[in-house]
Amino acid sequence: MVDERTLERYSRQIQIDGIGEEGQAQLKAACVAIAGVGGLGSVISIYLAAAGVGRIRIIDNDTVELSNLNRQILYNNPDIGKKKAEVAFEKLQLLNPDIKVEAYMETISGSNADAFFGDVDSIVDAMDNFPTRYVLNEIAIKKEIPLFHGAVRGFEGRVTTIIPGISPCLQCIFPRPPEPEKTPVVGVTPAVIGSIQATEVIKYVLRIGQLLLGRLLVYDGRSMEFMEVKLERHPDCQACKHIAKDRE
Amino acid sequence: MSIKVRLHPYLRKFTDNEGVVDVSGHTVGECLNDLDSRYLGIKQQLVNKQGKLHNYYDVCVNLQCSYADPLSEQVHDGDELLIITVIAGG
Repeated sequence: MVDERTLERYSRQIQIDGIGEEGQAQLKAACVAIAGVGGLGSVISIYLAAAGVGRIRIIDNDTVELSNLNRQILYNNPDIGKKKAEVAFEKLQLLNPDIKVEAYMETISGSNADAFFGDVDSIVDAMDNFPTRYVLNEIAIKKEIPLFHGAVRGFEGRVTTIIPGISPCLQCIFPRPPEPEKTPVVGVTPAVIGSIQATEVIKYVLRIGQLLLGRLLVYDGRSMEFMEVKLERHPDCQACKHIAKDRE
Repeated sequence: MSIKVRLHPYLRKFTDNEGVVDVSGHTVGECLNDLDSRYLGIKQQLVNKQGKLHNYYDVCVNLQCSYADPLSEQVHDGDELLIITVIAGG
């Protein structure tokens, strides 16, 4: 049963075919973990909180810096020097006090991934480096949890959705990680890509539409083009070949 | 054997700003060699000293990607290659 206040808060989206009160209740029951609350994670967490995802877990050990503020829209000047997860927690709860936000100021690693992600419905990859992205991929495969991947650089972005055993995993798609770098990026790029990731999460929770499974969306803001690249599972993928076999 | 190559914007400085160029070859690697013979220096951007594709580039054939060894991938007349970057920023 959805109460009156909830009906009013979400009235514009409850009207949408495929959401309704039932869909709103599904969003409220969902638990989504967002790995990283930087450029992508800011946008993703704001839109998932606004949409009424009932439990949002954010994990980030970074501190807000002045150079973050061109794109990390959760933070303002007075937040410089504070822990991102702490500030994100406050702002997301302020945006929507009817949901539960859990904030962890930790660095994600293979040894703690189980604790952060083992019990969630969805994992959103909003990280800034491939080693941690691979950790997310591993735990997603191990627990058979969908992984929503996004990445940005400059005016470019990439997005795909991974359902372990159904679609290619991150290691299948990107077997050769790029060298680490201080990524140049203009704020509008994570806005585009993070919004698409959040859209995918919402669709997954509601079981509506077509997910980006086996499809890599390649965005180029300079030419304002979206291209779709088809992806296939690698039969020899060290990360997911066992689960792929099980599902065949 | 005519193969179209769609270039990442960064690489267009080698091709007088052309975004799509025609090359020939039986594999992705041969196509890149042909590309380099027309636009000197472009292969050096794509391939390392060991002859492997740099990790920050990927080549898709007919909009299909995720090959373990992209350079040895076979191509056929009329195929289209897309050179994209692998990006990690969040």
